[in-house]
Amino acid sequence: MINFRELYKNSTWVEPFLILTISLFVTASFILYVMIIRSRNRNIRKERLRIEYSSLIEKLIFSIIFDDTPFSVIKEDKGYIKYANNPFFREVITETIMNLHKNYEGVYAQKLEKFYTESGLIKDSFKKLRNPKWEVKCKGITELAEINATKAFDTILTISKGRNKTLKITALNACIKLRGTKGIVHLTEHHYPIDDWTQINIINAFKKHDIGDTKGIELLLESQNSTVVTLGLKLIKELNLTQKIPYVTQLAARTTNSQLKYKAQDVLQTLTV
Amino acid sequence: MIFYNTELTLFFEIYLILILAYAILIMSSYLILAYLSTKELKEYLKKNSFVDYEVLLTSEFAPKLSLIAPAYNESFTIQENVKSLLSLNYNNYQVIVVNDGSKDNSMEILIKTYDLILTELDFHSKIETKKIRGIYTSKNAAFKKLIVVDKENGGKADALNAGLNIAQNPYVVCIDVDCILDKDSLLKLAKPFLESYGKRIIATGGVVRIANQCVIKNGRLVDVNIPDVMLSRIQVLEYLRAFLLGRMAWGRLDGLLLISGAFGAFDKEIALLAGGYNTKTVGEDMELVVRMRRYMLENKIPYTVSYIPDPLCWTEAPEDFKIFKKQRSRWMRGTIETLSIHKKMFLNPKYNRLGLLSIPYWTFFELLAPGIEFTGLVITALFIIFGLLKWHFFLLLLLFVYSFAIFFSVIALYSEERTYHKYPKQADFFKLLLAAFIEPFYFHPLAVYAALIGYKEKIMGTKGWGEMTRKGFTKKEES
Repeated sequence: MINFRELYKNSTWVEPFLILTISLFVTASFILYVMIIRSRNRNIRKERLRIEYSSLIEKLIFSIIFDDTPFSVIKEDKGYIKYANNPFFREVITETIMNLHKNYEGVYAQKLEKFYTESGLIKDSFKKLRNPKWEVKCKGITELAEINATKAFDTILTISKGRNKTLKITALNACIKLRGTKGIVHLTEHHYPIDDWTQINIINAFKKHDIGDTKGIELLLESQNSTVVTLGLKLIKELNLTQKIPYVTQLAARTTNSQLKYKAQDVLQTLTV
Repeated sequence: MIFYNTELTLFFEIYLILILAYAILIMSSYLILAYLSTKELKEYLKKNSFVDYEVLLTSEFAPKLSLIAPAYNESFTIQENVKSLLSLNYNNYQVIVVNDGSKDNSMEILIKTYDLILTELDFHSKIETKKIRGIYTSKNAAFKKLIVVDKENGGKADALNAGLNIAQNPYVVCIDVDCILDKDSLLKLAKPFLESYGKRIIATGGVVRIANQCVIKNGRLVDVNIPDVMLSRIQVLEYLRAFLLGRMAWGRLDGLLLISGAFGAFDKEIALLAGGYNTKTVGEDMELVVRMRRYMLENKIPYTVSYIPDPLCWTEAPEDFKIFKKQRSRWMRGTIETLSIHKKMFLNPKYNRLGLLSIPYWTFFELLAPGIEFTGLVITALFIIFGLLKWHFFLLLLLFVYSFAIFFSVIALYSEERTYHKYPKQADFFKLLLAAFIEPFYFHPLAVYAALIGYKEKIMGTKGWGEMTRKGFTKKEES
């Protein structure tokens, strides 16, 4: 047993200290080196598996979309049976469905949604919503919104009221996609400031998902939170909602906040020109 | 004689302990910064995987930016570089190329390539600069974002100030015209300006990486390679350490003093209020950040400086020692000048973390480190001459520093591997690993020597940048 007090007292601690730290640095460097090599090998293996899975997944998905193959047939497919419970396979198939769903509309998109539900992948997405890690929640929200899972709306709406900004933006985008204006009217009661980045994302979600029914956007103008009112004004301006002019006029007349008054007048000027 | 030997031995013991204490202090600070950086980087990447930068492309609320690119004798690459600046993924921006009295035909090339004509531009000079000979815009609608300023030579800071005076947008992005920017670099640089509520974002900076031997196509980086030349190869490793393990942590601590002159965005109003770039220093990039921060603190305006760890800008590193020495001695002069201009902030609680942490850190570990190292070498040499050196202990100390240097480089490689993975080729990884072993014997002494030259130049009153010859990326471009 090394007596550290003695070592310190007679000044002979320096050499053992140096030898110990040198050994630590060398060992730690070697461990990191092994970790780098392992990480590289893992990436290579993952990429190989992704290629292998992708060819099988594409075959299955295209037969569902273009040949109307029902899930009862898919689940008997040898390849599918082999990998159906493999987490990485499920990750790749989910990604493929999401990417295809972004590009397809109408009946093709519905077929993908049906497969997503029947195959149980939707359960994985719902499970992600309950995960304590915010980034997993975000992934689940993105997947459920993409697949138009309106059942998830209430849960996502609750999540959108949280304080984690990235999670909030993802949840608000999803709410807008799933239920349009109903996805943001709760912001009228929002207590914290909504920064410009969040506002731009909300506006973009309206544009991207082509939300036609804008009933309720005017409610944002009644909020006590000035950033929410600003968001309402920006939405009215960007979406060119001339039918909301009376509400903007009322705001311009009643608000005592000079910045909001100026913004409201600016919107009125843009919409009435 | 016995007394003489006892005194010397005592001095020797104290000296070694002091050197060891300094080494332990510097190493601990590096490790703490690396830990904070890694944590911040992990968090950033997680958040970033859910960010859709495209929203900025279509939004009229995206921050309006003015890119300022000073150019001096860049005729070799200017045509291609301006083209790449004009084709960045962003809508609300203008490009201001400031020809700083080039002696070559840069201006003729610009006029011919971009159909430029003299224009009367209405602007108010808030900062005094060298005389502007003319301002040009293009007849061609395709280049409507471009403004070229032709002025008398006044140095980089003066050219940037001319750009600041002319910039029409609220945010300015100051860049080196010969840098290769990632096509989404402006999207990433602009986002932080939208994110803060209650605190003004006065500047954002991104990571700069080394582009030597990388493949550039149409002004864009298409293939990342590790340079064959050892001097620039080690700089790849050095930049990885500095940007991945250092600046990210300073960003987290809100104590960032330096946003690289190669690529950084600033709130124009604050930059002008702070007085613009200082033309009397060669470290104008660091000096501006310190001065802007000082302005905000002295005026009690809540603010922050943001830092983005994504590799947004690729630059050419010196490949031969002569140019490397010029660059590093200039960096040292810039550091001395900035710290001396703002010496009032040193350990001054009025300046919060900046005064109590950032400035002292830069003073002890960036400014003084080469001097302390050199003094150590001289004393060691004297001990060898007088036969007083305890070789066993000295070699252990050397091994201690060497093993830490390798360890720290391997941390940087690990961080790069788990984050951006820009060097996927196995051979490139091993080249960098080899560089980590060679660096302490080859690169580090050169860097210390160049820094000492910087001390000397400062004492001798040397001013200016000196000529910086670049090989240019076009030599490596694919057709």
